[in-house]
Amino acid sequence: MLSIEDVWKRYGREWVLKGVSLRVAAGEAVALLGPNGVGKTTLLRVAATLTRPQRGRVELGVDRSELVYLANPPAFYRHLSGFENLKTGTLLFGRPADRAAVEEALKAVGLPPDKPVAAYSSGMKKRLALARARLLGPRLLLLDEPETALDAEGRALLLDLIAEVKARGGAVLLATHDRAFAEAAADREVALS
Amino acid sequence: MRRILALALRDLKIEFRSRAGLLSTFFFLGVVLLILGFALGPETADLKRAAPGVLWVALAFAGSLLASRAWGLEVENDTLDELLLLPGSREWLYWGKFLFLFGLLFLLALIVLVLVAGMFYLPLTAFFPLLVTVVLGIVGYAAVSTFYAGLVARLSTAQLILPILVFSVVVPVILAAVKATAALASGAAVADVWPWWQLLIAFDVIYLTASSLLFPFVVEG
Repeated sequence: MLSIEDVWKRYGREWVLKGVSLRVAAGEAVALLGPNGVGKTTLLRVAATLTRPQRGRVELGVDRSELVYLANPPAFYRHLSGFENLKTGTLLFGRPADRAAVEEALKAVGLPPDKPVAAYSSGMKKRLALARARLLGPRLLLLDEPETALDAEGRALLLDLIAEVKARGGAVLLATHDRAFAEAAADREVALS
Repeated sequence: MRRILALALRDLKIEFRSRAGLLSTFFFLGVVLLILGFALGPETADLKRAAPGVLWVALAFAGSLLASRAWGLEVENDTLDELLLLPGSREWLYWGKFLFLFGLLFLLALIVLVLVAGMFYLPLTAFFPLLVTVVLGIVGYAAVSTFYAGLVARLSTAQLILPILVFSVVVPVILAAVKATAALASGAAVADVWPWWQLLIAFDVIYLTASSLLFPFVVEG
């Protein structure tokens, strides 16, 4: 599904990605492993079409409306509640923002609907990001260090989400430092160096 | 269209809740009008003559504080990437942000209009034509501001660069708006103001078309 071929990316004079190639098949989850600064986040941003590589080719294999990228840390509007963030976010994504579905998604990750995101902890923001991903039902899910700040229950929700996407025939590419998490979440590990 | 409206309304909701941009703008507006009032007064005739210029100087300067808000909201919340990941062409993002800034500037313009009428004796007898002039003026201002604010959003010096970029392009709009306002304040008929309105409409159409078409190419993740 996702195909990254011979991607080269530099910031200023420094090359971060040098000819990286990677494929993620439908129904597969791949974990990117590697030390800090090796280009895991850059590769995810290239795959998400947020950053253009100097060279190489990226084929998503899905429409952009079927792609969800969970950044680390996830970004939300602080002056809006979790419910408002999800509702307007879904609407802007071009999907029907059904009130019951949004409330259900929040309930599923154990978040109160009316609390402003400014009062959320890092783990709660991660849970809100999981709720958003579940609501949008992506076929291509890109996750940047998704397990950080999550408690055991949160990690279980994350693993459920990955399993859901795979079961729908979607693909998951995640970046992590946590080898144990990578083994639990992914079918295959790729080390960037 | 639904997504454009949703984006503009969401941004207005955030702006009214955070109040940071609005409060500083209204405070700055008060100071500008007070200084101009002291500098040009106290003779009623002098204040009255200066009123059209004061209206647009106050609107342009105070508006420059709001100009960066369209994209400043995204930078403050670190949500620019989320916005750029939304499906579809990025032109609709421009229109949503334009509508948001237009809404803020329109609110500001109504307040400036009332204050200038009270402090500088700007006649409001031709209120509707005056309102048309204000709307045509702020459409051009918002069109240029939204484009440039998106262009420099990620720069640390965005707040410094933005007014320079905006004012250098938006001068024809401000000049035409001042002329139209002055004509209306002196009791001219709408037919006499029409050429200035035509000029404003032409600038608005050019700025909106060029900005919305170029926007997807200049905004990058």
